[in-house]
Amino acid sequence: MSVRAVVRTFSELCITVGTLIVLFVVYVLFWTGVKADRAMDSQIDQLQDQWARGSVAARTDEGPTNASPPKPAPYRDGKPFAVMYVPRFGFTWNKPVLQGTATGTLKKGLGHYARTAQLGQQGNFAVAGHRRTYGDPFKDFPELRPGDAVVLTDGTTWFTYRIDKKPYRTLPADTGVIDPVPRASGYREPGRYLTLTTCDPEWGHSHRLIAWAHLDATQPVEQGKPAALRR
Amino acid sequence: MYGWIWRHLPGNAWVKALLSLLLVLVVVYVLFQYVFPWAEPLLPFNDVTVDGQ
Repeated sequence: MSVRAVVRTFSELCITVGTLIVLFVVYVLFWTGVKADRAMDSQIDQLQDQWARGSVAARTDEGPTNASPPKPAPYRDGKPFAVMYVPRFGFTWNKPVLQGTATGTLKKGLGHYARTAQLGQQGNFAVAGHRRTYGDPFKDFPELRPGDAVVLTDGTTWFTYRIDKKPYRTLPADTGVIDPVPRASGYREPGRYLTLTTCDPEWGHSHRLIAWAHLDATQPVEQGKPAALRR
Repeated sequence: MYGWIWRHLPGNAWVKALLSLLLVLVVVYVLFQYVFPWAEPLLPFNDVTVDGQ
């Protein structure tokens, strides 16, 4: 084989590898987002169909703010059961919350840690989401500030949680952050808490960012959107 | 490598160009549909939970 052929083949290989890398970056940055947006929309549609069919029991109680909502049925793994709204992430930001934190589940929405409390119940309702890729749901996570609302609905009730601390940075093995009363959160008594987790740094996996909130108010969906979601 | 493919495609230059374009599209499709979804979890962007998965 002549030197010319060797050099030519080598340059062709380099160009091929370069193209592959560019394509992969396009896939990770752009295409996963397209796929995730589609998947999340279909999850929310599924939920709204389900709610419209009235598979959730209608309720009439309009107790005080902290009255315990009825215990929801157990969530089915990998299925959506709520929609989350975080006004801080944008007025139109809303994502489905699915049961479980498997890799495949987190591609379709936010994932509820299966062993933590259910939405609005006593204990810690913990949810994980992607910081980057797959629609970047928690891209603006560090922007969360005390007092910010995290609103969820399960089709019958609006739950308004309020963030209590600036996002807390910890190590991936620190599972204590999703305990019923997380030690680092500053909470001392059992209550109705919410924990959000995502990765940190933005494109890395060496740490996790955690945000804690407490249940501030609930209201039945018949009363319309909670104040935090009104413009 | 690319020269070899070009020489082995049938037809005149136009047919060859069209076939090459098709080949490129097939390769991109296979990459996006099968290869990248397999490779992507090997990167750290999926680690967003604290249960040490």
